[in-house]
Amino acid sequence: MTVFAMLAPLFRRRLGALSLALLLSAITLAAGIALLGTSGWFITATALTTLGLGFNLFVPSSLVRAFSFIRILARYGERFVGHNATLRLLSDLRGWLFAALFPRLPLSDRSIRHGDLVSRLTADVDALDVAFLVAIGPMLGALLMGMAVTGVLIVFLPSAAIIYALAVAGAVFVVPAALVISSRKVGREVVTAAADTRISVYDAIGGHADLTILGVLGTAKDRFSALARRLSDWRLTLAALTGAAAMAVQVLAAIALVGTLWTGIVAHEAGTLDPAVFVGLVLAVLGSFEATAVIIRSVGKSAAALAAAERLTALANLPPAIIDPTQPLPFPEGQKIAFSDVHFSYDSGAPVLNGVTLNIAPGERIAISGPSGGGKSTLLRLLLRLNEPQCGDIRIGTTALHDIAAAQVHANMALLSQDSPVFIDTIRNNLRIARPLAEDEAIWAALEAAKLDKFVATLPEGLDTVLGESGRTLSAGQMRRLCLARTLLSDAPIILLDEPTNALDRANELAFFETLAEATRGRTLIMVTHAAIPDGTVDRVLEMRNGRLAG
Amino acid sequence: MTQEEKAAGKALTRLQRQGGIAIWLAIGLPLISGGLLVWQASSLANVIGRAIEGGEALDALLPTVILVLILLVLRAGISALGDWLGTLASEKIKQNLRDALFSSLLARSPRRQDQPPSGAAVSAVVDQVEALDGFFARYLPASGQAALLPLVFGAIILPLDWVAGLLFLVSAPLIPLFMALVGWGAQAATDRQAQALTRLSGRFADRLRGLLTLKLFGREAAETAGIVSASESLRRRTLKVLAIAFLSSAVLEFFAALGVAGVALYLGLTFIDFLHLRSSPLTLELALFLLLMAPEVYNPLRLLAAHYHDRASAKAALVEIERQLGTLPAETTPLSDIAPRAGKAIALDLTGVTLRTPDRQRVVLADTALKIAAGQHVAILGPSGQGKSTLLEALVGLRTAEGDIMLDGRALEDWPEEDLRARTFLLTQKPRLLHASIAENIALARQGASRAEIELAAERAGITQFAAAMPQGLDTLIGEDGIGLSGGQAQRVALARLFLRDAGLILLDEPTAHLDATLEAEIMSAIIDYAKGRTLVVATHSHAVATQLDKAWRIAGETLLPVAVPAHKKGVA
Repeated sequence: MTVFAMLAPLFRRRLGALSLALLLSAITLAAGIALLGTSGWFITATALTTLGLGFNLFVPSSLVRAFSFIRILARYGERFVGHNATLRLLSDLRGWLFAALFPRLPLSDRSIRHGDLVSRLTADVDALDVAFLVAIGPMLGALLMGMAVTGVLIVFLPSAAIIYALAVAGAVFVVPAALVISSRKVGREVVTAAADTRISVYDAIGGHADLTILGVLGTAKDRFSALARRLSDWRLTLAALTGAAAMAVQVLAAIALVGTLWTGIVAHEAGTLDPAVFVGLVLAVLGSFEATAVIIRSVGKSAAALAAAERLTALANLPPAIIDPTQPLPFPEGQKIAFSDVHFSYDSGAPVLNGVTLNIAPGERIAISGPSGGGKSTLLRLLLRLNEPQCGDIRIGTTALHDIAAAQVHANMALLSQDSPVFIDTIRNNLRIARPLAEDEAIWAALEAAKLDKFVATLPEGLDTVLGESGRTLSAGQMRRLCLARTLLSDAPIILLDEPTNALDRANELAFFETLAEATRGRTLIMVTHAAIPDGTVDRVLEMRNGRLAG
Repeated sequence: MTQEEKAAGKALTRLQRQGGIAIWLAIGLPLISGGLLVWQASSLANVIGRAIEGGEALDALLPTVILVLILLVLRAGISALGDWLGTLASEKIKQNLRDALFSSLLARSPRRQDQPPSGAAVSAVVDQVEALDGFFARYLPASGQAALLPLVFGAIILPLDWVAGLLFLVSAPLIPLFMALVGWGAQAATDRQAQALTRLSGRFADRLRGLLTLKLFGREAAETAGIVSASESLRRRTLKVLAIAFLSSAVLEFFAALGVAGVALYLGLTFIDFLHLRSSPLTLELALFLLLMAPEVYNPLRLLAAHYHDRASAKAALVEIERQLGTLPAETTPLSDIAPRAGKAIALDLTGVTLRTPDRQRVVLADTALKIAAGQHVAILGPSGQGKSTLLEALVGLRTAEGDIMLDGRALEDWPEEDLRARTFLLTQKPRLLHASIAENIALARQGASRAEIELAAERAGITQFAAAMPQGLDTLIGEDGIGLSGGQAQRVALARLFLRDAGLILLDEPTAHLDATLEAEIMSAIIDYAKGRTLVVATHSHAVATQLDKAWRIAGETLLPVAVPAHKKGVA
């Protein structure tokens, strides 16, 4: 889907407000042109009149006042309405992007990095505000005004009309188009350079201790400086292109003005043009180029906006990670989970699962052990429908997993992944992600099961303690246990744990295994671990090696 | 105006000096263009006046018409050049400031508590610095024009027609006054908006990191709604700022329109002899000149109003940068690399050491002693969250500790940074990988390491096998924060750096946390092999690891207790 097809619906939602802004902008321009033109006509007419005090002052003077006030009000209204509509558009866009992102998770594209994503959502979305407000709006406004002034010229001074029309066409179409084409690549480079600069700051802050220990702070700084300089250089190139275009527009305005002036003088000397109308026309032409001056500034920015829009579209154009069935079946409750001869590989690489067959009875607790990279985590991902097996099938009872909507699958399974995050939020809210309406009692029970209740009880703010970035006031082990508590809090009947104890010491690990049976009572448990599991923790331990299971 | 804003204003002036000659040219060129404008307007009025009132022939008028064209084109060129120089100056200033901010962030002690959250730091170094752009590139040149041009225009017009001249001279200075009144309100609102923007940015980064987790818990709708509502609240704040900012431009629009309308009426009334304020008769040429100049008197002020919020944004950005990163550094802190250096093993001797958790809430070790002989290999066992990492970090000066830590008989605080870094190595618990290739990430450990050395290090850390399955092997680009690698793989890439370091003291924090037993044994034997003749301290929760080392302690009850390990220890290697 193209950038425009993708974003058009968002614009359509705000079409009313955007059109109002455009109308107000056209009124502002028209009032300005009319004010100057009428004033020019008025003073020339009075200078040449022989009527003295008999001259009809009322019409021109009230016109001049009316145009002034219309202009002031229209200008304020235009800016307010236009900005409000644009900002609403930005909110819509953020929501749209989030909504587009969720079904595409996990992103298959290795190059989509976290810092890059953040920059996409904030900077790219912000860059798009200029797309309407300062590009399309002024362009349409200038076009309307150019046509109106051309019309007036055709009536009074046809010889100037053609010069003026060509100059306006050049200023509204040719120059901006040339700028868009020539700055497209530069705009993209600016956005990329900004994203790279961002990532290098993330890297430096996140890896500060590592960089210090390795004694490579100088290298880190040089990397950053080089990226920031590249950003500066591309911005300067963009500024040079924009400046050249702005100059071209002003030259076109000069040609239109001098053309009108010269043909006006010729017509005046030929006696075909009233001198007061002549002066009025010259001033109106002068005033009409106010509209075109703004276009260039905005088009310069719109190059970056277009690049941003392309990146957003690329993200939204990624295929969904899996395709939901058109007629999803309900998730069968209390049924066994059955893998039969499942084969899987990522991106048609080396096979990760090589004919896995596994039956898990409802309420059964099993552990899968084996070397890392043996396909244990992949097994859980397939069960969650984050990926689909190339061969073989997975069933819940008699229903094929791929006939159940992914959201239904997720609602029935809770996963503790290896890289489960702690969010910048309170402990309570971190846990309630698993069950939004959970009572404190349930939250404390989950914390107890994860062996974190005593620690949280010692915190002065208790469950209301706000955790910093990456849960900074918690140790890695505590963060892990918080995520575990979150998983246990979920009311899903199937619990999936991927290396639940990888940040715990042996004593805590044993304590955890001891309470696991109690904490997951009545639920199906599939645990992937390479830890030694005490007898009685689970019903069965299977070993996975080279993509195959052995009992 | 608050103290903060005053300071921000001064800081902007200091930064302005770094713009060099470009910024002065960017301010000066529009003034020259303003002078040419007077010439252009008078030539235009002149040629029309001569055509209409004088009835002069076309041939006689042609040179003036051409002059008008030349002046118009010349001014277009000057204005484009001035704009570009403004951008040049602004880019230079931003680049300098970014370098200074970035280097001062890195020059700080890497103790986690001192560092701002990375989302806030990125927002400050990239976005807030960018918000200064308008001030240098547009506001400063515009303010030069606004301060000078209306007065110059007024002074030129006054002797020609005192009424119009007076109207301009009186009304023009009033405008900045009105604008200042309007602008005060805008400043406070702009500050709040900058904060809101930072929070929004932080929320995005945070939620994005955990997007998959949110998806699996079925939070798509709730989180999407959350982002929209955060964004909408930012919109409401922004609109408040803009409603006031637009008011100041409306004030200007009012004066500008009033100027044109007033001058036109005055001239018309004078022509029909209704007003008799002039001593000399009014010509059409002069009247046209006055009318052409009327909007131009207000134009510099309108330009300033268009960029007025650039100054407010710049100040707010500076205040926000200081809030996030502390006082603005005056210049770039020089940072240089420290090359690893070969040498003998380093002995460790701790006496009366007391350590606290990073947030200073809890004591990890109280009055503890520990002796590790040069070349000895030891393990530190202990429950997670009990301070193993804190202890290792304290040993290489990344955390403060009370008591005496002696490295090689010399107190830690007496070790110059260059010596300490050149001779020690710490593998942190969650090492950060850069957004670069695997090979580049390993090579960080030693500048100019040869390809063969990098490959050997990769081999020892057990990377070669999984790297071979990747598209470009060791040259595969890995994402920021190790994206594209599993936890265990990322840990091994960071571990590979050890083999390029030649350190006398090696500290490893959970080097095998993500690994299964076979891989753990392989990698531990490579580590132990390499660490011969070096001091090695491994923090681990794995007894299997501890048994391969000479000695082990465990952290319990705020102190270190020796743990007996089987005697066969590193004989396996």
